[in-house]
Amino acid sequence: MAAAALGWALRAAQQVLPASCTRQVRGYYVDWRMLRDVKRRKLAYEYADERLRINAIRKNTILPKELQEVADKEIAALPRDSCPVRIRNRCVLTSRPRGVKRRWRLSRIVFRHFADHAQMSGVQRAMW
Amino acid sequence: SSTVLSAKEDGPTPSAGSAPKTAPESQEDSAETPKQKLLNLIGNMKVEVSSMKKFQQLRKRETDRQPESQREGLGSGGSALPKAAEDAQRSKSLKRELIEAVSAVASSLPLNKKQTESDLLAQLRRHEETTDKQKKGGTVNIRNVISDMTIKKESPAQRGVRVSNLISLEFEEDGKRIKPEQLGSQSSDPRRYFLSLKVGKRLNIFTKISPDTEKAVTAASSPTIWDLEFAKEIAAVTEQPPRNGFEEMIQWTKEGILWEFPIDNEAGMEDDAEFHEHIFLEKHLEDFPKQGPIRHFMELVICGLSKNPYLTVKQKIEHIEWFRKYFEEKQEFLQGI
Repeated sequence: MAAAALGWALRAAQQVLPASCTRQVRGYYVDWRMLRDVKRRKLAYEYADERLRINAIRKNTILPKELQEVADKEIAALPRDSCPVRIRNRCVLTSRPRGVKRRWRLSRIVFRHFADHAQMSGVQRAMW
Repeated sequence: SSTVLSAKEDGPTPSAGSAPKTAPESQEDSAETPKQKLLNLIGNMKVEVSSMKKFQQLRKRETDRQPESQREGLGSGGSALPKAAEDAQRSKSLKRELIEAVSAVASSLPLNKKQTESDLLAQLRRHEETTDKQKKGGTVNIRNVISDMTIKKESPAQRGVRVSNLISLEFEEDGKRIKPEQLGSQSSDPRRYFLSLKVGKRLNIFTKISPDTEKAVTAASSPTIWDLEFAKEIAAVTEQPPRNGFEEMIQWTKEGILWEFPIDNEAGMEDDAEFHEHIFLEKHLEDFPKQGPIRHFMELVICGLSKNPYLTVKQKIEHIEWFRKYFEEKQEFLQGI
């Protein structure tokens, strides 16, 4: 089922962290936006199962509509950062929100920098 | 002279099959070759003796250059002298050939001749003693060994008992746990093949661990953070960088960077459940109503779960449980519809 696959993909995409509340930050993320993105990812991981199940009730033609309305309200009551839509795939090194290649999680500028210094395995300048 | 002779020897051999000009010369040389060979041998022997004399002279000079060190070692030398006398007395029992060989060997070695002589003679004496003992048969006291062994006839009826009682495991470390019942039964039963581990003289090879050290050993089972840090520090200090590519790959495999070969497709996946537990999930639907839209919905859920290869059985059961709880909470609401 597509919902199950999405849930699994969500879990697989995040870094595997145990379900725990975000503590005070003592690490060195590039900037605060990256930190907020990290928090969103953690929360999305925690609430992934619940969101999946409630959405399964909502996106349904079999169950009565009243039940689905109740489910709507329930999912709206969940924390806003728990939805996966708010996650932005930023560059891992520069926290650039745009121009990020998914395979390397790097922005185009950093990618080019490393590729030119021959620090990207299997990457070569195209010539044909 | 030896060099000249050797040149003359080399001369005839290559020219033997060559021009006839050298024929008369070769004939004269061939007549002289056996004599020359003898002369060469004698000359070589003389050379060898002279070289040995030179070596001995060198060693004498070395030993004479160390009179002070020898004076320091006079204490050991003084003790060595009466030992030498004793050895001389005992060495009479040894063969004279051995003594001469010992003296020759000692003279050939650069260190103290007297000490080496005495050591060698002592070793020879020990060898002689052991050989004499073995000839007489006095080294192995067989009585002491056999006294603890008892040979008994084996009966087929008792074979099962014997196999089970080959080593009595209740008698482990301290003899305080002896069960007198078993001891009495074993001593009375003549058909037991092996006795227990506690019967017989103690050899006192191993020192007994006192209970205090045992407690100390067991108390370390809950290590503190400092112990862990210390252990990590020791490991970090003692580890060597990998000497070759193989060791590097071993290290990577231990860390988990490299997979284990041959590749196991199910590495890290510990699904102990059978396929039927994944597919036939209807038994979990017993708490749901048999009719109605909820049942329809849950059957669809189960159909989807049965086709999902990524979740474990436990996760699937949790999924269904969540729905059950949800619908129970909404029971009153549902009845109002």
